[in-house]
Amino acid sequence: MFYATLEGLRRFKIPHKFEFVSIITLYAQWIREGRLKVDPSWNKDGLKFTCQDPCKLVRQGLGDQVAEDLRFVIKAVAGPENFVDTWPRLSNNYCCGGGGGALQAGFVENRRKYGKLKFDQLAATGADVVITPCHNCHSQVLDICEFYGGKWKTTHLWNWLEKALVLEDKAK
Amino acid sequence: MSTPKGSVLVVGGGIAGVQAALDLADSGFYVHLVEKSSAIGGSMSQLDKTFPTNDCSACILSPKLVEAGRHLNINLLTLSEVLDVSGEPGNFTVRVKQNPRYVDPNKCIACGTCAQKCPKKVPNEFDLGLGKRKAIYLRYPQAVPLKYAIDPKACIYLNKPGRCGFCQKVCPTGAINFDEKPKELSLEVGTIILALGFKPFDPTSLDFTGYGKLNNVVTSMEFERLLSPSGPCMGHLERPSDKKEPKKIAWLQCIGSRDINRACHGYCSSVCCMYAIKQAVIAKEHAQSGDLASSIFYMDMRTHGKGFEAYYERAKEQGIEFHRARVHTVLPAENDNLTLRYTDTKGNVHEEEFELVVLSVGLETDPGVMKLCHELGIQLDQDNFISTTPFAPVATNRQGIYVCGAVCEPKDIPQSVMEASAAACKAQELLSKARWTETKKKEFPPERNVYAEPPRVGVFVCSCGINIASVVDVKEVTEYAKTLPGVVFAQNNLFTCSQDTINQMAEIIKRERLNRVVVASCTPRTHEPLFQETLREAGINKFLFEMANIRDQDSWVHQNWPEKATEKAKDLVRMAVAKVLGDEPLPYNQLPVTKKALVIGAGVAGMVSALSLADQGFPVCLVERKDRLGGHARKFFRTWQGQPMQEYLEELTKRIEDHPLVEIELGATVEEVSGSVGQFKTRLSNGKDVEHGVAIVAVGAESYKPRTGKWNYLYGKNPNVFTLLELDQRFIKADKALSGLNQAVFIHCVGSRVPERPYCSRVCCTHAIDQALKLKELNPDMDIFMLYRDIRTYGKREHLYQEAREKGIIFIRYDLEHLPVASEEDGNIVIEVEDQIIGERIRLHPDILVLASGVRPRDDVGELSKLFKCAMTQEGFLLEAHMKLRPVDFATDGVYLAGLCHYPKPVEETIAQAQAAASRAAMILSKDAVPAESITAQVNPMKCTGCGVCTRVCAYHAVAIDQNSGKAAVDTGLCKGCGACVAGCRSDAITLRNLGNEQLMAEVEAAMEG
Amino acid sequence: MEKESVDLKTLRARVKKQIEDAVPDVRIDYCLTCGLCASGCPATGLEDMDPRKFLRLLVLGQDEKILNTNWIYSCTMCQRCKYACPMGIDVGRIVYEIRGMRPKEKRPKNLQRSCDLQKKSNSTGIPNEDFVWVVNDVLEEVRQNEPQWKDLQAPIDKKGAKYYLNQNAKEPTVEPEEMVPLWKILHVAGIDWTYSSKWWDGANYCLFTGDPEDWEYTVRKQAEVVDELGCRYYINTE
Repeated sequence: MFYATLEGLRRFKIPHKFEFVSIITLYAQWIREGRLKVDPSWNKDGLKFTCQDPCKLVRQGLGDQVAEDLRFVIKAVAGPENFVDTWPRLSNNYCCGGGGGALQAGFVENRRKYGKLKFDQLAATGADVVITPCHNCHSQVLDICEFYGGKWKTTHLWNWLEKALVLEDKAK
Repeated sequence: MSTPKGSVLVVGGGIAGVQAALDLADSGFYVHLVEKSSAIGGSMSQLDKTFPTNDCSACILSPKLVEAGRHLNINLLTLSEVLDVSGEPGNFTVRVKQNPRYVDPNKCIACGTCAQKCPKKVPNEFDLGLGKRKAIYLRYPQAVPLKYAIDPKACIYLNKPGRCGFCQKVCPTGAINFDEKPKELSLEVGTIILALGFKPFDPTSLDFTGYGKLNNVVTSMEFERLLSPSGPCMGHLERPSDKKEPKKIAWLQCIGSRDINRACHGYCSSVCCMYAIKQAVIAKEHAQSGDLASSIFYMDMRTHGKGFEAYYERAKEQGIEFHRARVHTVLPAENDNLTLRYTDTKGNVHEEEFELVVLSVGLETDPGVMKLCHELGIQLDQDNFISTTPFAPVATNRQGIYVCGAVCEPKDIPQSVMEASAAACKAQELLSKARWTETKKKEFPPERNVYAEPPRVGVFVCSCGINIASVVDVKEVTEYAKTLPGVVFAQNNLFTCSQDTINQMAEIIKRERLNRVVVASCTPRTHEPLFQETLREAGINKFLFEMANIRDQDSWVHQNWPEKATEKAKDLVRMAVAKVLGDEPLPYNQLPVTKKALVIGAGVAGMVSALSLADQGFPVCLVERKDRLGGHARKFFRTWQGQPMQEYLEELTKRIEDHPLVEIELGATVEEVSGSVGQFKTRLSNGKDVEHGVAIVAVGAESYKPRTGKWNYLYGKNPNVFTLLELDQRFIKADKALSGLNQAVFIHCVGSRVPERPYCSRVCCTHAIDQALKLKELNPDMDIFMLYRDIRTYGKREHLYQEAREKGIIFIRYDLEHLPVASEEDGNIVIEVEDQIIGERIRLHPDILVLASGVRPRDDVGELSKLFKCAMTQEGFLLEAHMKLRPVDFATDGVYLAGLCHYPKPVEETIAQAQAAASRAAMILSKDAVPAESITAQVNPMKCTGCGVCTRVCAYHAVAIDQNSGKAAVDTGLCKGCGACVAGCRSDAITLRNLGNEQLMAEVEAAMEG
Repeated sequence: MEKESVDLKTLRARVKKQIEDAVPDVRIDYCLTCGLCASGCPATGLEDMDPRKFLRLLVLGQDEKILNTNWIYSCTMCQRCKYACPMGIDVGRIVYEIRGMRPKEKRPKNLQRSCDLQKKSNSTGIPNEDFVWVVNDVLEEVRQNEPQWKDLQAPIDKKGAKYYLNQNAKEPTVEPEEMVPLWKILHVAGIDWTYSSKWWDGANYCLFTGDPEDWEYTVRKQAEVVDELGCRYYINTE
């Protein structure tokens, strides 16, 4: 995940020539630049979207800016009116409970109790889709949704971005 | 230094700046008071009520502002800022930029027509943006000067000339001047006082508070405005989202204070705990439904000031809930409500919904102030407050420039007022040679002789904003007043004490040829002098005046019975009119001043006061009951910032002993006091008589020693149990054994904040922590445990607390239900205490046990207070004239107090208060004569039998039997008008002027008529 | 019956000291016990623990309790407590250190296993050849079945590509079709990118076991690969 590399490079002073970036930042940048053209008109039914701010990417990684980029992309993809934000949000968002190795460590009951705050928070948005840009978040949000009887669909961002892509020279 | 200038520059027109200006202007100096906004009053003018007295802030502040605004020797420069300062102490040149008001203050009558017509609305900064104002505006209803100003950023005309300009068209006096340009002034002054105030912390950056995102999260300053009668909802508490009255409010403490992570403010803001409790109490009173629930979420409850702990206890009794828990994030709930999730000390999680959340924001320095300090070369500390030192608490690093108020550390109003007077004192010391060289003298018009005139009474009924008008039907009372015998004029005013109304009153007196005036408003205690001076300016004797208190004694106490309150207001007005009809003009008596001070107690407070007065050229008699100077401070090791106390004391003692104007009486106490302000005569126990014009009481206090009872903790039983001062003795002696200790335990609040001593001693937390740090210096491996209830390291002292934790000193909280238990095992001390967080009992084995026992008042202070006719608090400390605004004056004129006899305080505050007392005393000593009582006793020789009872009952020795006539005669210079002789006279031969039987009976009869 | 009290004749907070030596700015002692962390932490109450109590046990030298509590695996080291803590205390960092103090055999097996696999290549342990094969296989399928994407690319080990893309091991292992949307996005955006056939996994479970040397090793390997390929940007997909 993002933080492991970001902080690893920093803490262990690992020499490197590349610049380390997040795909979320790039999505937003490419949409702003017009490099990626997206059209939310596919969302005729007005599917409501919300998102999870991955701790490792946002609070511990790039801060509020990348979380704002995430929202920018979702709004561009699903229509601004179809995004429902959570509270708390951005850098202050709750951890889903799947991070830190919790998904691998066992202690399933604790992990789900932990996830109850996240479940309640996401359920309160009434969203149909929860975007989870991190694999740990994805697995945990999927699990607590099922365990606590949530009704939303848990997905990565790329599936929807692909759906909204405007292909210029070729028909999609 | 060449001949110093006789004028002073005060920068900042808040309460501190205004107090400093008034002290100086009343002691023979000309003052330029520079204020950056369009009116003086500062942050205090924005507050609703003040703790711990619940006084209306504007009400107690207003008379001071009006006095400063009218003072002949105060040059008010509003909309102004200091550009730079050159020169040296005694002779500074200051460049000041005065921004245009665009309204000619000499023409503006504050009628408000301009603002009515002005089409441009902008957020009102006085209400922190909660309400709107126009582009032409008054900063607040009681603003001084009461003159409109145009906001150049908002004004349509100024931004696009040719457009708008409505105000100019409608102004009845032609006061609008769009062409006004900024002016630059050059002022020659002897000293400068910086009273630059503070700015409330802006919590926008703390996203977890929800501030700026969730509608019903407000700051405490915004909440003051929501409560205030002059605020955006006219004092009817409404929450922002739906304008409904909240039924459940939470306060979150330490927002922007004691936070080195996000707020970058490591200090404690000192005032927030108390203002939060006050707001919770006042909100409860405001709630129309009467079922408001308030909760305060805090870390340590810091109620360390005089009367604060009792206020806290009372708040608990009133049902305000206190949660020792910090909330991580404010969460939105249904209906714009807010949910708080918090964990109690045992680790249980709770969730509670509130309708409004108030963030108790701390105090910080405004960036503009930092910039100014940088330009003036004034040093700031790590927290960006102006640096001072404990032994020179109002001196900056630049000689001749002094500082007071919250700009040098967060502090409350009384402390700011004390420092203001202290700064004034330092300015006087520097400029004493130039006293009265630049001042102007007040001339009143000759007084009209009204003896032969039939009574023409004018009645002014005050709304006091909504303080009175929300309960009493003031229009009805005004109409009623017009029907009373002798009344020829009656009028209702929004704020009778506002400057325009005052001016108008003078005009009305002249126009209507009034010869008696009644004001039905608030209390004569704060406002009578103001109205009386208005009478003089209008050319009639000031004693032809009465006040009816229809606020404190009516609208405030009968809130729920408006009709009856209106009837009572009519009764009070009728009584005042009945009384005023009998009032006669009285002489303005004067009493020559004996230019000498008596200072009682030669501890730090007494010595500082004495030295300061002597340095100003006034002789001082310094009386000390012990046989040496120094007092309590002799027992102290060092200040909390690390300065050795004994070195300071030595130097101070030497300066006192060497000063030609200080006469020291050791081993002496005060036996007998007679006379009054200007002319006291005091007999000392050594038989000496001292004649003096003023007295400063600085008799100190004692440290509490828990010899028996619940707070004993083996004190006096085990040789290794000490009080703080006893440990200080070992530090002073550099006791080597201390380095060898393995474990030390301190118990805080020993015998403090308990039913028998229900106050906080203010100094012990800091003192104990400093000692613990000293022990760590001696032996870094020593284990030190502090058992505490609330750590009260207010202000910058919080850094010390942090340092202590950083060094591994462990703090364990206990409460009165779970006291630590001390026992002995084979002569060794064992302490058991429960750690509430891990929920286990901890067993400690200290080599020394230190008891942070508090300060208690001296038993004999009561005797002394009787001699000077001063009051005492329930706890036995001396009681000042007003807790908020007169913190060093006694109710008895010419007598002042300083130091521990007032309340426990650290040395820096003692020194500030001692300097303040000297400043107040100098206001008398600098004059040749002071006004004496006009309402004096009068003997009717026809009735007097010469029995002499009156001479025996008079506490002021003002009555004597005349040798020739054999009748009693009153010395009007000495008579205080107390009435003891009147009551004592068996022959009904003595009366008080304007308080005669006929007059009082007329008042009583008027009361019965209703 | 009353519990036996904790005797602190000499306070030996060894674990605290160890952490302070490893992390000089950790500030454990700064704790004001205000409870802000506990009120904001989703793991409060799990294993009868919360961040404040955890710090308090450390401060009071209750090392056994600290070393034995499984709460360290419920705390996700998310740092939300640190975010608002008035003293900025990083409980997550402390938990990390304590995880590392546990002997490997006493750690949660799957967590340790993920890291051990990661040190070989990737967290699911599929051979690198399989990854390459899966990518090419999926790509081929898309090109064939979706004519408009017949030019789609999924380069591996392309020297000098501007962007290097990592890949969470979950997709090639259990849901390979989930890789396709991102390829399409990159294609439309006209990005010159590449995967690597070595150290391609974007996840890194060695961050969670508590052994910095393992974490360092895996990051170092990834960095070397990217620099070898000469890519200017390293894109992380999560």
